[in-house]
Amino acid sequence: MVRLHRGPILFVKNYEFIEHTADIGIRVRGGNLKALFANAASAMFEIIAERRTPASTALKSIKIAQQAENLEELFINWLNELLSLSAAKNLIFSRFTIGVLDNKSLQAVVSGEDAAAFKPNTEIKAATYHQLKLEEDNGKWMAEVIFDV
Amino acid sequence: MSEVPLEKIDDYRWRIPRSYKPGMRVPGIIYADEKLLKDIRNDKALEQVANVAFLPGIVKASLAMPDIHWGYGFCIGGVAATDIDSGGVISPGGVGFDINCGVRLLKTNFQYEDIKDKIKDLVYALFSDIPAGVGSKGDIRVSAKEEEKILVKGSRWAVEKGYGTEEDLECTEEYGAIEGADPGAVSERAYERGKAQSGTLGSGNHFLEVQAIDQLYDRELCDAFGFNLGQVTIMIHSGSRGLGYQVCDDYTRSMVRCLQKYNINVPDRQLACAPVNSDEGKAYLGAMKCAANYAWANRQCLMHLTREVFEKVFAMSWQKMGMELIYDVAHNIAKIEKYEIEGKEKKLCVHRKGATRAFGPGHPALPERYKKTGQPVIIPGDMGRNSYLLVGTKKAEEETFGSACHGAGRLKSRTAALRSINLNTLLKELESKGIIVKASGRGTIVEEAPQAYKDVNEVVDVVANAGISKRVCRMRPLGVIKG
Repeated sequence: MVRLHRGPILFVKNYEFIEHTADIGIRVRGGNLKALFANAASAMFEIIAERRTPASTALKSIKIAQQAENLEELFINWLNELLSLSAAKNLIFSRFTIGVLDNKSLQAVVSGEDAAAFKPNTEIKAATYHQLKLEEDNGKWMAEVIFDV
Repeated sequence: MSEVPLEKIDDYRWRIPRSYKPGMRVPGIIYADEKLLKDIRNDKALEQVANVAFLPGIVKASLAMPDIHWGYGFCIGGVAATDIDSGGVISPGGVGFDINCGVRLLKTNFQYEDIKDKIKDLVYALFSDIPAGVGSKGDIRVSAKEEEKILVKGSRWAVEKGYGTEEDLECTEEYGAIEGADPGAVSERAYERGKAQSGTLGSGNHFLEVQAIDQLYDRELCDAFGFNLGQVTIMIHSGSRGLGYQVCDDYTRSMVRCLQKYNINVPDRQLACAPVNSDEGKAYLGAMKCAANYAWANRQCLMHLTREVFEKVFAMSWQKMGMELIYDVAHNIAKIEKYEIEGKEKKLCVHRKGATRAFGPGHPALPERYKKTGQPVIIPGDMGRNSYLLVGTKKAEEETFGSACHGAGRLKSRTAALRSINLNTLLKELESKGIIVKASGRGTIVEEAPQAYKDVNEVVDVVANAGISKRVCRMRPLGVIKG
């Protein structure tokens, strides 16, 4: 199944599902590393909830800073931090502006709306390291990640 | 298709030899019959059984129950015990994100015939009064200080609030509160995620089910539990909600770093772990126990809400309806337990990841009322087939660190279920069997369809035939509420 990106660039395929018996796996792409991180986050929230009301302009923004030992850890920490913030603040995030991103640190501003504006779909407990892949090919990035649902 | 080599031990036991992968410290042992093995071989679960055998300090074998399926890191349906005094490790991945996900079974004095015309009302009332669904929040809201009490007191916190009785505690694994919980080891974010989720069912495979007993296997055991054919029971399946996920996430982050620090070689980072006796191991254990206690309090609150709904629908007190708790078991947890290994008593850290404790008759951890029968082992199936009450055995204590299966086990992925199963056809099928389902998400019903699961009857046959549990009775679903 292929989902369509609902961001500013319309109808660009940015993720697909990969089979896993109990959980949900996705393969996601990005034109660069920042786009990969943003697209993975966007895919994750598309799985979690579907918009119920028209998009609101009243977005709440939160700054995120993450440190890690390597890129894979940073990727997992980023997704899990978003899940955690989403649950704690009752927000569904839809905009991900990544400022700084290298192999060991990330700074971003993420914006979201109250979860009441969305119809919950699937609860994602966490992003896992199991069969995690992050690959670069000519500056373009691809990631595979399995979510515990 | 899995290429993992399997040696047949007998009709219900199979071995993955240590020689399969350099780094395996013990063999893998899978409890299954030939039929179940065909499905088990279809995903990567066997590879994961072999990977778990890498854990430092693991003793005897990396075990898998017949409901085993592919997880992330550990397989689901896995049991692994490590020797604490020989550098044995604890792994948050060996417990899972939903710490102390578990199930409880209540009995009632009703017969199916007494309530058959009211099942629809009952299901709708349960669905309306019990918070369920993704991120569901309940009416039980607590301050951080109160939440700390939940983390230490577990079910007792709920009982002190008036949500249950002393007898309920006696009928809960660890009496509803495992000792050694350290609220200081739980992050602020975890507290924040937990504050509004007590008494909420959650989503995914969590459910509350009204059932009727449709088969008795052991007259003497059924008499001991007070069970007859047609009797109505209730099963509640939930866990520690967001608080547990956060504890697992926090400690997986810290333990990924421990792999290098303690020179641990595991083939999957989701098996990240640290020696039980290390600072990181102790902190995780203290936090995990908090989440476990939170889950027991949660299921106690859910049971209280269920009793209230029954009181409303039948205009009778729950005591009069005989709504007593049979037992509550954890099936995602790590426990410190003592076993004899090669003639010596050892203190082990037993990880049960999708496996149920199954202590036999006479075990000191059991309350007086179950000393003769053995520990009640509650096995939920899918919403269209059956669930079981079993009891643990001495053989389980000898072979599987006192463990048995935890459910039917998934067969089909959620995406495959969504692709191949039609919601309306499924609902009609269930209705024709007399099963009413209410769920907050339409997708959940399809993802959790009976076709997505193995047949729980086949799974239970294996644990019974292997002697690691004994069948008491079987239930069929009447009404199900899901997240």
